[in-house]
Formats: sequence, structure tokens, C-alpha cells
Amino acid sequence: MQMRFWVVLMLLAATVATPAPAADDATTQALQTLKRVTREGKGNEDAGTAWKTLVSKGGPALMPTLEAFEDENPTAANWLRTAADAIADAEKAAGRKLPADKLEAFVKDQKFAAAARRSAYELLVAQDPSAKGRLLPGFINDKSPDLRRDAIDNELDILERVARPSIRADLEKLFVATRDKDQVELLAKKVIQNGGKVSISEHFGFVTSASLIGPFDGPESKGFDVVYPPETAKNTTGKFTGKDAAELKWIPASTADKYGMFDVNGLLGKHKNSVAYALAVIVSDKETPCEIRVTSPTSVKIFLNQKELFGRDEYHHGTPFDANVGRGKLQIGSNVIVLKVCQNNQTDSWAQKWQFQMRVCDDTGGLIPGVKQVSATDGKTLPLGFSLEKTTDKEDKK
Amino acid sequence: MSRFLLAASLAFAASHTLSASDWPQFRGPNASGVSDEKNLPTEWSKTKGIAWKATLPGRGASSPIVVGNRLYVTCSSGTRDDRLHVLCFDATTGKQLWHRQLLATGGTACHPKTCMAANTPVADETGVYALFATGDLAAFDADGTLRWYRSLVGDYPTITNAVGMASSPILAAGRLIVPMDNAGESFLAALDTKYGKNVWKVERPRVISWTTPLVRTVGNNTELLFAGPKGLTTYDAATGETRWTFKEGGGSVPVGVLDGDSLYLPVGGVSKFKIDAKGVAEKPQWAAREARTGYSSPLVYGGKVYAADKDGFIACVDAKTGKEQYKERVKGGFSASPVAGDGKAYFLNETGICTVVDVKADTFEVLATNELGEGSLGTPAIANGRIFIRTEKGIYALGR
Repeated sequence: MQMRFWVVLMLLAATVATPAPAADDATTQALQTLKRVTREGKGNEDAGTAWKTLVSKGGPALMPTLEAFEDENPTAANWLRTAADAIADAEKAAGRKLPADKLEAFVKDQKFAAAARRSAYELLVAQDPSAKGRLLPGFINDKSPDLRRDAIDNELDILERVARPSIRADLEKLFVATRDKDQVELLAKKVIQNGGKVSISEHFGFVTSASLIGPFDGPESKGFDVVYPPETAKNTTGKFTGKDAAELKWIPASTADKYGMFDVNGLLGKHKNSVAYALAVIVSDKETPCEIRVTSPTSVKIFLNQKELFGRDEYHHGTPFDANVGRGKLQIGSNVIVLKVCQNNQTDSWAQKWQFQMRVCDDTGGLIPGVKQVSATDGKTLPLGFSLEKTTDKEDKK
Repeated sequence: MSRFLLAASLAFAASHTLSASDWPQFRGPNASGVSDEKNLPTEWSKTKGIAWKATLPGRGASSPIVVGNRLYVTCSSGTRDDRLHVLCFDATTGKQLWHRQLLATGGTACHPKTCMAANTPVADETGVYALFATGDLAAFDADGTLRWYRSLVGDYPTITNAVGMASSPILAAGRLIVPMDNAGESFLAALDTKYGKNVWKVERPRVISWTTPLVRTVGNNTELLFAGPKGLTTYDAATGETRWTFKEGGGSVPVGVLDGDSLYLPVGGVSKFKIDAKGVAEKPQWAAREARTGYSSPLVYGGKVYAADKDGFIACVDAKTGKEQYKERVKGGFSASPVAGDGKAYFLNETGICTVVDVKADTFEVLATNELGEGSLGTPAIANGRIFIRTEKGIYALGR
């Protein structure tokens, strides 16, 4: 009896001590090959074979494949994503269940790539629809934009079905968490309907105070590639020669637009083939990664502390929200953002806008605690999105 | 001229390995919009004449394509329209054979009318090549195995078209031809089909455009005729070298039709140009101003040229003379290009109503007006005795 007890105990201990089966060598090698694919198809020669190897490993390769995703390597993620799909399809066709416990643990663990977690969530929910209700409440502040959105939609459904006394506070909590523009607007409306107050401008963290300078001459719509003196500005001192030999200096400007839009035509005058710059000072209480997101119908370049983060040379093809994203790092203390905004020479009535909106946020599009703007008028520190005037609502009037 | 034509047709026959009943690319065989299939359906409705239908996981302005018994279609979905789908169905039964997804690596901004699945894929016997408006490009074997993948925006980060891209890839001279006219790094490239690497890549004007190259064989050479707002440029498919240019192209959306020694361009309505080995004749043989195109491309079939515009006009002119046969207005505007086969021309409008016209008649003889009740932007495909229509929500196989 005693002997049997020890045998059982030893077996149990051995079971507990044995780590989860690691990916076999071929799987590991295949994953490494897929992650090595780089620009212009470099590595594709081996990747096709590696993909087949990975998929041939079946169910045991599913979790290692999902774990191999990296948000910073979207090319590899698409190789991996299609492999995960193929493995899951084959398992389903063979009548085998996917490892639900492992998928659920994976989905909950924010250290894994957002795209992989979303894939795992969908595989799990396809197999076990009840996982949706169980998991979504935990994703309201998730770094995956899709999981976050679904979680907020799910919570909204619940709030609308069950009239809680705390509905206003609950809606305000969801408003803080939401990131997508349409969902932000929906929640703002619901908070207001329930007696609350919201600021869409502060929610998005728009720069509402900046200094502007221009127009500089950009003949033949080529100003995008020309480096004008303000491009490397550290502050708003100095005078420059602009279009038609006009003497230019920085002028302070602010916007009370709900979406933080600066109308360059209104502030600097209507000019064609021209370039303007906006300079905003941002203070941070810590060194932190940030995104500078810009919306504009014309070509823009984004600079942070004299370093170019992003450029897009396209005119009057719409004004998609957050279409221009510069990724950088804020330093402790003062940071200078310079935005170059160009205008071309199109004469069409729909091609006359010269405007921009700019916001500073984290990689989910949310506010970064401890990050504020400095007023271009009086040097006071203000929250991003803050407006001394009552905000206007140009978008709602369209 | 006759020697040129003989050489061209022989060379084309030698290079053509797909079945005549296939519809492997945007506007089908030779990008003509014409199929040799017989016994094609004339009438259908939501409840009648449907061989099968399948729900799709997202939107698409792309066309379905068919090679053998495989039907391929692309979709995009998600709040940010960043979920890209490639699906393969059994063309006979409608059974979904596989479904692969990619996550967009390029921008997803576009006009609300379109979406990221606007480029029509191209297929051969070995599989399918799917390009999305995000610049994501993938090659799958017929069984769904990923052969290779490219993020073109990852490769060339300035690619941008906030209206949304829609030019379709094609196969020519054993290579995948990728048109990428846009406001950033604009190019036409030939990729090897095995690994997806550039064989050649030539610079194009930085102007947004939605056209797809035409292909022709001249002697031992394959040429790509690529039109845009700045005219027509013809490239050697083997090297990417420019062979000749022509001042007219036909704008940035509709694509012309090559028919023997004639090139029909959507210029001033539709214009017919003589084309030989050296290029296009300076002046058109005729120009039919009343044959307006807009978003859709013209159709040449049965000795007639058809055009359908965004205001719902269908125009028909004589292919020899350009003389107007008729111009009639039907309900709704056209984005999809007209297609034809079995003596019938099919005009699918944006609301999913398809007007079927008798091409033997010199007057506007409507054989049927068919409604599926779902909007549609993609050009239909004709293959295996059926017409395949993709709508906002699904795909329909119409016919036997």
C-alpha cells in the first residue's frame, strides 16, 4: 500500500514537473523561417515550404503558430495567420476539437500580439459560442482594437437591455475606453442623453493650440520634398522669407473645433502651391512611446523633436480620420512637434481645403497620462483637447 | 498586316493553356468580357434560376473568377475594413473549399462606395493570386496552400490612394503583372509566380488610376497595354521596357478592348483605333460620343460595341461604323462592366438588377430584367454554363 502510494505520488510529481510539450524542431524551424521573410519577398523561397511543414504538423502546431505573431512584423503575421487558419480548418475537417483551454488562456494574455489574440478568440468562439459572453467583459480596455470594440459593443447591449441605476457612470466608463470614432460618437450621445457631459476633443487628445507659419512657395506642388527652415524648428523664434518674398513669422493659433481642426486657409490666407507649418509643444512627465496622428486632405510630414516620423504626399482624395500616423518617443519635459501641411494647385471646388487636425496618443489611440500641451498664446500647460471657448461642431453640420 | 495578325494569333494560341470555359481574370478571357459558353441563363430572381448561393464574410467590388471547377472571390470586412478574405468554392455545388484571411498592412482609407476587396484576383490551373487595395498580395495554390505573400506597402511605404485602389493583377508571359498606379511610389511590376519576387518593376506617373493592363502577343513578344490618365503605354512583358506610347488612354477607370487589329478605347465615349505591331493609329476610325462608359468598361460582341454608364444608359453602336444602334436608359447606374455570351449581353447595375439584351437585334430588345435584391459592384463571371454574380452579401451561381 505504502509502495503504491509512493509510485502514484512520483508519477503525479513527474506529470506536474513535465512542461507543456514544446514545439518540435521542425515546427520551430518553420516558424523561424516565416518570421525571417522581409521586403520584396526576400525569404519567400523557403517560406512556402515552411508554411506547408507548419500546417502538416496539425493541431500541435496551432498554439506555437499563434504565439509566433509579432505586431511589429505584419508580413510574417500574415504568413502565420493563414497557417493558423489552415491548421484550424484541417482539425475541424478531421473532427478534432481545438485546444479550448489553451486558446482561452492565450486570448486573455495581453503579452501576445493583438492580431494573434483576435484570431485565437475567433477560433475559440467558433467552437464554443459561450466563450464570447465569458471573455468580452475582460476586454474593455484591451490593446487589441477589435477585442476592445466588441467588448464595448457587448457591454452597451447589456446596458440597453437592463436599465441599471448606474447607467450614466457605466456609459462614461465605456466612453473613456472606446477608441473608434463612430463608437466614440455613439457613446458621447448616450452619455449626454443620460445627463452627463463629455468632450470629444479631450477624449481624442487633439492639439488645440499651436503656432503656424506660412505660406512658403511650393511651385508645381513640389513643396513636399523641399526643406524650408521651420522644418527643423526647435521653437517659434525667427523670421523667414515666404511666398512672394513676404516676411513670415510664427503666429499663435487655437481651435475650438470639436475635432481639433485648424483651418489653414482661414489662419494664413488661401494660397495654392504653398507650404505651411504648425508647431506644437507637448510636455510629458515621463519618457514614453507615442503616436502623433494627423488628419488632413493634403500632403503632410510629421516631425518630433526635429526627427521626421512620417510623410504622405497625396492631395484631395478625402480626409480619412487618423490616416497619417507618426510613431515616436516623447522625452521627459518639453517636446516639439512640427507638422508640415502642403497645398497644391488644383482648382476644383472640392480641392480648396487646407486644414489639419493632430492628436497625441498611445498605440491604441487613447490618451497618455501625464502628457499635455503648452498654449501657444500664453505658455500655460493645458490638457490635450482643451478649449477655452465653447467647442464648435463643423462635422455635425455637414 | 495579315502576316502580323497570323503571327499574333498563333502565338496567342500557343500560350493559352486555360480552358475556353474559364473566366480567370477581370472581364474574363482576354479581358474581353465575352465567353464562348452556350445555354447561358436568361432569367432569374431571388427564388428562381439559382444553382447555388453562398454568404460571403464581407464586401467586395471585385469580380468572382472561375478556373476549372474552382471559383475564387475576395472580400474585406471589419470596422477598419482591414480583414482581407480569399475564398474558394466548388463552382458546381457551391461548397466552400477553403477560406484564408490576411490582415491589411497598408492603409484602408477609401471612398465609401468601394472597399479593400476591389481588385479582381487572377487564377490559373495552379491557384489564385489575390491583390487587395491595401497592397497586400498573396498567391494560394488551388487547395488553399499559401505559396507566397507580399506586403507591397511594406516594400514601398509611400504607396497611397485614399480613394481606394482597384486595378487588377493579370498573368502574362508566365508572370504575375501587378499594376500599382497611385499617388506615392507608382509602378507596374512583373513578379515570378513561384516566389512572388520582382522580375522587373518600372516607374509610373504618380497619379491615381484604377485601370488594368491589356495583353497581346506580337510575334514572339508579349505586350502589356496599360492606360491611365496620362495616356497609354505599352510595355514588353519580358523586360518591362516601353515599346510605344499613345497620347490617349481613356481616363483612369474604364479599360479598353482589344479585338484583332482593333483597339476600342473609352475615349470621347468609345473610339475605335487601328492597332498594329508598331502601335495605334493617330486618329480613330470612328468615335461614338453617345457610348459613355464612366466606371464600367465597353463590351465588343456580335459586331456591336456596348457601353453602360453611371446614369443607367445603355448604348449600342455598330462595331464597323460606330453608327448608333440605340441608347436607352434603364433603372440604376452601372459600376460593373457588361459581359456577354450565347448571343446575350448582360448589364448588371449597382442595385443588382441585370438587364439581359438580345445582341442579334439592332434595336433594344430586352430579353429579361432580373433582380436579386442585393446591390452589386463587381463584374459578373461566365463559366461552365453559368453566370456568377457577387453581391454585397453573397455570391450567386445562376443557370443550370
